[in-house]
Amino acid sequence: MDAIDVKSYEYYTNRELSWLKFNSRVLEEARDKTIPLFERLKFLSITASNLDEFFMIRVASLKDMVNAKYTRRDIAGLTPQEQLDQILSATRELLDLQYSTYSRSLLPLLRQHGLLVVQEHEDLTMEQKIFVDQYFRENVYPVLTPMAVDSSRPFPLIRNKSLNIGALLAKKAGRSLDGSVGTDQASEKVKGKEKKNKEREQGPELEFATVQVPSGLPRIVRLPDEKDGTQVVILLEEIIERNMGQLFLSYDVVCAHPYRIMRNADLTIEEDEAEDLLKEIQKQLKKRQWGEAIRLEAEEKMDRRLLKLLRRELSIKEDSIFEINGPLDLTFLMKMYGMDGFAELKNPRHVPAPVKELPGDCDIFEEIRKGDILLHHPFQTFDPVVRFVQQAARDPQVLAIKQTLYRVSGNSPIIAALAQAAENGKQVSVLVELKARFDEENNIIWAKMLEKAGCHVIYGLVGLKTHSKITLVVRREEDGIRRYVHLGTGNYNDSTAKLYTDLGLLTCSALIGEDATAVFNMLSGYSEPVSWHKLSLAPLWLRDSFIQLIRREKEHAKNGREACIRAKMNSLCDPQIIGELYEAAMAGVKIDLIIRGICCLKTGIPGVSENITVRSIVGNFLEHSRIFYFANDGQEEVYCASADWMPRNLDRRVEILFPIERPELKQEILHILEILLTDNVKAHVLKSDGSYEKIDRRGKISLDSQEYFTQEAREKARQEKQELPSRVFIPEEHIEE
Amino acid sequence: MQITVFAGIDIGSYEVGMKIFELSSRRGMRQLDHVRYNLELGKDTYVTGKISNEHLEELCEVLLDFRRIMQEYQVDAYRACATSAIRETKNVLLILDKIRVRTGIDVEVLSNSEQRFLGYKSIASVEEDFRGMIQNSTAIVDVGGGSIQISLFDKDVLVTTQNLRIGALRIRERLADVESRTMHFASVLNEMIGSELRSFKKLYLKDQKIQNIILTGDYVSQFFRQHAKEGRAAVMSRKEFMELYQKAVSITSTQIAAHFGLPMEHATLILPSLVLYRRFIEDTGAESIWLPGHNLSDGLAYDYGERKKILRSTHNFENDIVEAAKNISKRYQSSKGHIAGTEYLALTIFDKMKSIHGMGKRERLLLQISVILHDCGKYINMNRTAECSYSIIMATEIIGLSHREREIIANAVRFNTREFASFEEISYGSSLERSDYLLIAKISAILRVANAMDRSHDQKFKHVKVTLKEKELVVLVDTVADITLEKGLFSDKAEFFETVFSIRPVIRQKKQL
Repeated sequence: MDAIDVKSYEYYTNRELSWLKFNSRVLEEARDKTIPLFERLKFLSITASNLDEFFMIRVASLKDMVNAKYTRRDIAGLTPQEQLDQILSATRELLDLQYSTYSRSLLPLLRQHGLLVVQEHEDLTMEQKIFVDQYFRENVYPVLTPMAVDSSRPFPLIRNKSLNIGALLAKKAGRSLDGSVGTDQASEKVKGKEKKNKEREQGPELEFATVQVPSGLPRIVRLPDEKDGTQVVILLEEIIERNMGQLFLSYDVVCAHPYRIMRNADLTIEEDEAEDLLKEIQKQLKKRQWGEAIRLEAEEKMDRRLLKLLRRELSIKEDSIFEINGPLDLTFLMKMYGMDGFAELKNPRHVPAPVKELPGDCDIFEEIRKGDILLHHPFQTFDPVVRFVQQAARDPQVLAIKQTLYRVSGNSPIIAALAQAAENGKQVSVLVELKARFDEENNIIWAKMLEKAGCHVIYGLVGLKTHSKITLVVRREEDGIRRYVHLGTGNYNDSTAKLYTDLGLLTCSALIGEDATAVFNMLSGYSEPVSWHKLSLAPLWLRDSFIQLIRREKEHAKNGREACIRAKMNSLCDPQIIGELYEAAMAGVKIDLIIRGICCLKTGIPGVSENITVRSIVGNFLEHSRIFYFANDGQEEVYCASADWMPRNLDRRVEILFPIERPELKQEILHILEILLTDNVKAHVLKSDGSYEKIDRRGKISLDSQEYFTQEAREKARQEKQELPSRVFIPEEHIEE
Repeated sequence: MQITVFAGIDIGSYEVGMKIFELSSRRGMRQLDHVRYNLELGKDTYVTGKISNEHLEELCEVLLDFRRIMQEYQVDAYRACATSAIRETKNVLLILDKIRVRTGIDVEVLSNSEQRFLGYKSIASVEEDFRGMIQNSTAIVDVGGGSIQISLFDKDVLVTTQNLRIGALRIRERLADVESRTMHFASVLNEMIGSELRSFKKLYLKDQKIQNIILTGDYVSQFFRQHAKEGRAAVMSRKEFMELYQKAVSITSTQIAAHFGLPMEHATLILPSLVLYRRFIEDTGAESIWLPGHNLSDGLAYDYGERKKILRSTHNFENDIVEAAKNISKRYQSSKGHIAGTEYLALTIFDKMKSIHGMGKRERLLLQISVILHDCGKYINMNRTAECSYSIIMATEIIGLSHREREIIANAVRFNTREFASFEEISYGSSLERSDYLLIAKISAILRVANAMDRSHDQKFKHVKVTLKEKELVVLVDTVADITLEKGLFSDKAEFFETVFSIRPVIRQKKQL
């Protein structure tokens, strides 16, 4: 036993490969026949947008490492090059599965249910062709910007993630200046042509032209219904492809194919050099579109000459070219999901249940004073959190509101309430995290708006992302200052709160209140408090807290006391924590993990991790809550946090771990964990070979945890409603004869 | 419930801090917030004697933000105090003015004795165990950035208090060059601190055995508090301290920071403090170390609460000031009987004259201290007692008195025998104002009369009855002794008294049957 080194490569899975497995699990949902058809479209779309982001961030940074000749191995012992190779081949498998799902399962099913997607413009009927061409002239043509390339015009900059149509053109014999779009280009070309005489002699000279499929127009274009009522749609790029000739009138279109590139978008800010973080991010945003190209997607049947040209001009490696058998960029399926009708092919709209402790017209502060309140989103509504801020903004007794904002929805009622509070003369401090990936532009806009309203806005911390979700309301009450705190595992975003599973705690515990004040002091640049009462913060203390908690279980197990860890999070890839978990498991601690995404820990390693189970729940809602339970020899401790067990959460972000102490709420969380661990519909179990498998539920009662929580929340809310009238006796009405 | 929200701002030599408190008579003091900002002002002052513009600007930014935070709590009152880092700069007034203009915050520079007294006050008032502890011999060691203050207590009374300019930041800056040149920085520190402590030990610790040490001074005691054993967070045994010391001196500052989870700026200050404490603990043989974790801001809040009659302490702080003065008087071998006699007379006159002089409790204390110290100059020169007493008082810190108060006392004593000077003469080279001048005159007038009544130092005026009759203050003496001397020399002193109060003091001897 002593010889086991928990740091051995063999005990770990590479995080990128584990992530790809997660994306496969999402794809499995798209392939699951028991799921309504349009929901499956949504899942397929998600796998596509996930993959895009994965490339832009993770693959891009691996490519950077390879380019920099960086060869350090990851925890699983792979060099960046090895990782890249495995990722690219796994991606190809994933793509194959994505597109076979699309064309072999989903398209035929859509057809069956009255939606025909015309795959290629060549398949259009005569009437449809007329419709499409008219649509092109009226709606598409005016917004297109075709660009031709020759020696006098450099290869244009192709925007990141944009869909384009590349074409090879041949000059029409005997035609010239005809006043078309191509006029200028054609006249320019006359001079350049002399030089190319030689080439011409060898064959017809082909010129490259490209046009971006306008992102402002709907990708899905609806055509007149068929006689049997079948709806017919075609993708925009097919319409453009069909009308390519219209753009280059003096040329023959030899071939035209859609393509799409992905660029390195990893946003690394040189903070030491930046005078103003805000400016720096704005600058980086402009740069983002023009990073190095790291992936080229091209239609499978693309003309070889065209492909070669793209490859050369974009200087992209062979292994980064993906030939796609189907439409590029499947994220349009999310738009298809949004098409009117087909309600029977979608899940009914989820309506979060009201929270019985916090009815719509209650005084939230009064209710919190009665005892801590736990919120379980999206099963329970996010409303109370919004109302918490709104009420604070109006309450004359409230002196100050402080909040951290990470990703906020477009038209956030919380932002409006904060601005209102400032206008009402409250002291409002808001930490706006600008570094939230891909949301920066959005964040800057409303941060400025808050500033205008008179809020004290702090623009994040240098070198750290503020990922914690905390709101503090300072209220002057009869017996002095009282602090109300909301702590959450998810962002203050009323839109995602309907889609992500998260937990939130409303409390007026004096100790948590003091800690919360200290958190905001630290976020404002003040020194750390002398000590913390209840909260633990990353990056300074959280890692140690977790390690101590895990080690305490290990000690309990060693001494034959009750020891168990149950933890739920999005990703687990911190080597130190995994090492501690292995050691705890080796000492006999029973460890059950619920990890939606990346998991670098391996289960079932003889003598190391046989006591550990890992399951991943991929369902309708994105599993997002982070829960940590420690049996602690019967003195059970339950925590929630904004952090995963990932190095970036523990070392480079401001995160908060908070205890759930009220006994009833503790029980509630234990119940939530229990249900999650019993899920046999949406749960995938990690096997010792690294694969994930759904649970064989033959002979067992099916339990879909998300469905269960939805029903449970509704019942809870209903219970209260029933109780009220049951206490009132209603006299029979007078019976009329 | 009446609740007052108070903010105490402490501009220290390495940190600017603000604590916000709720003060109420029912619940006492409740800390709401503690904001701290690292700003090593002392680094400028102790090396160049000035505060750099950058630091001043940073300080103003912080204070502006403190204003915002005060608004957050709708603070009813605040007091902002600066200590040695600003006190020792050459351009104090300019700095204070700049801060006032930029931030609207009035910063007051505390004398060392005021500062320490406030710190001590907060401990004594807030901590219940304090009274019990100072029954035994106890030392409060308050380590600041600029200096340390050692106060000795025995049997519930302050014995002495001394200020040594070996604060953690000052030592660090003074030895900055040495640190890089030695492998044994701790022993260099030990040597330097040892030599500074030696004279203190000789003077005050001769036959004194100290049982308890109370450590205050912000981060250092905080550092210890974190490492005191769980459960009894505020007390550490000598052995526990030594273990911690061993652990800390064997590693570098960077390691200290990492190991003890401290910010780097504080970690570099830990070593000088640790060495100092060790030295002191060894020299005194103290067994337990007590860590109340208070700082100046607590003292400011407590002092405010006390003045506004929101808070009441069981400990008599004025008594500490009186005892400290008596100890000085004892050191200079003043006649105990004469002092006691004069004190009795002076205070009796003071109390009788209340409606006329309009002075309050604090002024009464100043008079009392003036009386106690008026004769100490004799130790140096019998012929120029008043001048020498003045010099001694100006050079001796008395805990609990501000510099201004001490100057008032020194002047009152100085004009005990000399002819009273003009405001211009007295205020020259000092910050005394006209109101202070009047106070000096009043105290001096009473002191003169009281002193004259014990001219012989024989305490003939043990039992007097003082009555105010129209324009006369009649002192009826019940004594069989011959008071011709006192009576004869009295008219001289009475004149000045009359000039000041428009009341003529008269001595009458009670007829003996």
